Amino acid sequence: MHNIQVNSEDILKRQLELAEANRCLLKDKAVIGISVMGAIGSGKTSLIERMIDRLGADGHQVGTIAADSAGDDDHQRFLSHGADSINLNTQDDCHLDAHRVDHAMDHLPMDKLDILFIENVGNLICPADFPLGTAKEMVVISTTEGDDMVRKHPKIFAQTDILVLNKTDLADAVGVDPDRIVSDYARINPHGKVVLTDARHNVGIDDLLAALGFACTNTL
Amino acid sequence: MHEYSLASELINALLPQVEGIEGRIVGVILKKGELRILSDQALANAFELLAEGTTLENARLIIEPVLVSVSCPSCGYQGPVDHASDEAFHFAVPVLSCPQCQSKVEMKAGRELFVDSLTVQTPAGTEAS
Repeated sequence: MHNIQVNSEDILKRQLELAEANRCLLKDKAVIGISVMGAIGSGKTSLIERMIDRLGADGHQVGTIAADSAGDDDHQRFLSHGADSINLNTQDDCHLDAHRVDHAMDHLPMDKLDILFIENVGNLICPADFPLGTAKEMVVISTTEGDDMVRKHPKIFAQTDILVLNKTDLADAVGVDPDRIVSDYARINPHGKVVLTDARHNVGIDDLLAALGFACTNTL
Repeated sequence: MHEYSLASELINALLPQVEGIEGRIVGVILKKGELRILSDQALANAFELLAEGTTLENARLIIEPVLVSVSCPSCGYQGPVDHASDEAFHFAVPVLSCPQCQSKVEMKAGRELFVDSLTVQTPAGTEAS
């Protein structure tokens, strides 16, 4: 019995190369890419809508890639807020990958965009393994999912820049203590930022934009 | 659910490389970064099924973890990180922070997925190399 060393490349190397190509394209076009991951129904779309409004009022041109396994509900919502949007149905696939994002960007006016939000399929597992080439990544959860979400999905939270805890207005109603989520996150990702939001009532949106590196000056 | 497609890519990449190897391939050593969200059991099962009928069909997929390794731009530390863990709940994640000075760190290893080596059973009477 003996061992033979294999000259093998990383099996996901192609994915990493495509993500890097996306990163270069976004940089060349001076577009800030934001990857929005999160649980189903956590409020990803609502938060992006609010940010489109805030950033748009400041004169920024916002683009969106609305990914869902089927349908165009999120895409239509983004269009109604004035974003340049492309609908991306993954057809039962549970996450986006850099290749699909590359093709989606072909259909967006990248030359005129300032910011591109890429809303992933609702899922707290698979998207973490497929980088898209964005400058920032945020993960959205909401109080209605319970206060144990970080410890149930530690790997995605351990490696993401920003945790958004949405629906803070419902925390008392569902008996959830936001502090528990915040302390769980601090334990596994001490350098991550936490932002508390209530997208429905437009609360915390400026904090989220600040965490993403945008300072809005308008007073919507 | 990506384990089948990854096992398929792995086998397709390996088959041309194992052509001409003397002996029976009984093990494929796969290195997996600990931040990869992939099930070892599902990967091994997928490999076993997809390798049927190929020269890899007698091989067992052996998955060895690659621990997260970082470098700290603040104090110069290089090496592994601490883990937040609770074994009772299958909870063990590397904390991406410098274990010496608690600064933000750059990750150097921990997300890879590659075949490291093969274990080959040499035909009787042949010298193992």
